[in-house]
Amino acid sequence: MSWSGTETSATQQVPCKDLCPEWECRNPDDYRGVWVIGETGPEGILEPSLQLLTPARKIADKLKVKVTGVLIGYGVRDLAKQFIEYGADEVLVVDDERLKEYSPQVYGEVVVHLVKKYRPEMVFVAGTMRGRELAPYIANHLRAGITADCTDFDADEKTRDVFQIRPPFGAVLLAYIRTPNRRPQMATARPNVFPLPPRDPSRTGEVIEEKIDHVPKARARLVSRKVIPRTEAPIEKAEIVVGGGKGLGTPEGFKQLEELAKVLGAVVGGSRRAVDLGWIPHERQIGQTGKSIKAVIYIAVGISGAAQHMFGVREAGVVVAINKDPAAPIFSQADYGVVADYRDVIPNLIKRLVQLKEELKKGSPEPKG
Amino acid sequence: MRIVVGMKWVPGTQSVRIDPKTGTLIREGVPSIVNPHDLPAVELALRLRDRYGGEVIAISMSPPPAVKGLEYLVGMGVDRAILLTDRVYAGADTLATSYVLANAIRKIDREIGKVDLAVFGQETTDSSTAHIGAQTASWLEWPYIYYVRDAWLADDGKLHVERILEDAIEEWELELPAIISVAMRSIKPRPVSLYNKVRFKTRPDTLITWTNKELGLDTRCTGLKGSPTIVAKTVDVPEVPRKKVVYTPKDGDDAARWIIEALLKDEKASKALIKALKEG
Repeated sequence: MSWSGTETSATQQVPCKDLCPEWECRNPDDYRGVWVIGETGPEGILEPSLQLLTPARKIADKLKVKVTGVLIGYGVRDLAKQFIEYGADEVLVVDDERLKEYSPQVYGEVVVHLVKKYRPEMVFVAGTMRGRELAPYIANHLRAGITADCTDFDADEKTRDVFQIRPPFGAVLLAYIRTPNRRPQMATARPNVFPLPPRDPSRTGEVIEEKIDHVPKARARLVSRKVIPRTEAPIEKAEIVVGGGKGLGTPEGFKQLEELAKVLGAVVGGSRRAVDLGWIPHERQIGQTGKSIKAVIYIAVGISGAAQHMFGVREAGVVVAINKDPAAPIFSQADYGVVADYRDVIPNLIKRLVQLKEELKKGSPEPKG
Repeated sequence: MRIVVGMKWVPGTQSVRIDPKTGTLIREGVPSIVNPHDLPAVELALRLRDRYGGEVIAISMSPPPAVKGLEYLVGMGVDRAILLTDRVYAGADTLATSYVLANAIRKIDREIGKVDLAVFGQETTDSSTAHIGAQTASWLEWPYIYYVRDAWLADDGKLHVERILEDAIEEWELELPAIISVAMRSIKPRPVSLYNKVRFKTRPDTLITWTNKELGLDTRCTGLKGSPTIVAKTVDVPEVPRKKVVYTPKDGDDAARWIIEALLKDEKASKALIKALKEG
């Protein structure tokens, strides 16, 4: 662990005259409370937003403040209960017909208005595609700092600074980022990095309805939307995942992995290299800049084991690696490693699994490999 | 159309070091490249110019060696490139970076001609924050949208874009001037052409440098001073405990047998495997 002795110490306030004149001078003591911005969809508040109630609770308890859920849109009032059941202490709602359609700038300015009025010290935004679009606008409009893709949070009770912890540059290191002189502090975290808190239907909390006089006119407007039908389960929720990397050698290698996945009811993902090569779509990238998986079984095939990739399998259960290079770093990061060419292993694995499957269906009580 | 496109000069590898004192990147000795995710943005800007006329101006807030990256973009067909470089810009977080970029766009707008559109790559390979597009839009108060993979002008002069999300393809309409961020890997960038390289050599004004003398920004707003976030410390990523059992099999079947046995030995994995096979 290496502490840095940067000149900007957390306790020392930068005098207003030394601040960028574009920034409004603020007293951090005027800012209290932890917010989670709730992104909504047809089925209610999206899970990535509810997951952020987990770190929000941790920080709020440390700082002895409330967790406030924030809902913006039209017809979102009834979702406040969902926020509270998952752990928010109170919910701030802006339910307005003029906010029926999302536009990043318009939603951003509504959040900015709320932050200026209620002054929270920390704002969490889910790092969904929409959240990653919206959050930096809000932060910048407030001339506040923002940290993307945090994987953990902690707070310093004395200075009330929130440590926003993220893996920069290839996920070998974790950086502790803090915002010593500015409030609010803002951060995003990717979906499934934090667990969904347990739902408690008996929880109660205050719902504050906020009216907005002026809703800015949208200068970016949705014209049409075509939903892409999902062909398979999202990788981040799969029980078994098969991953492929550059070591497959050819895009055809993924066909073998698909066959294996079919037998296992698994979802196929890949390393960033496989995505860069166009072998697999980006939404199935496993790693720091892709998805974090929580599979019970992860089978990594032809993946070298770069820190960037392994970051996405931290929460996976048993990790099996198949690689013909005995020096591949993945072998020191897997539970079970097989030094072999996947072209020899995968067809045999499929054969044996199909056999096992038939035995199981016949009702053989204790399968032995 | 006058289109400004952003470029970041990033380490060409993932294995880079961080200065423990400042928490910022050590660039010495690390070969750098144009951020690969900026190339689809450059390509989209060039296609818009080719279709509607005008010019594409590349900007980059980077140390002087980034000139090589700007030369590459000129080789692709960018009309001119401006390097924004000054010691007082060093150590900037995304807010302070977008401040310099926004002010460079303002200066282009004032001195070179009206800017209609600014285009950025979706994110960078070295920090992947995806902040810059939205932050620059915030400084300029321009409308913006992310994840764009195509753009065209409608008869009323508004910009229409197609953007790709995980679960939908959307068409959006934006009033100009506007900012768009282009989806990663969405458009294949054109190669560098000899013609453009020659054109660059014969027109030395293609590549210019603005230091803070030209931009005239308050140094309290740039670099480390203009950055609300600081890296307080860095630690190694804690290792995940794994069994690390490595087996060299006799053949493919032996490997398959060993893997299945290993999975059946683990309580949770065995349960998941049997469940999956029974259901499948």
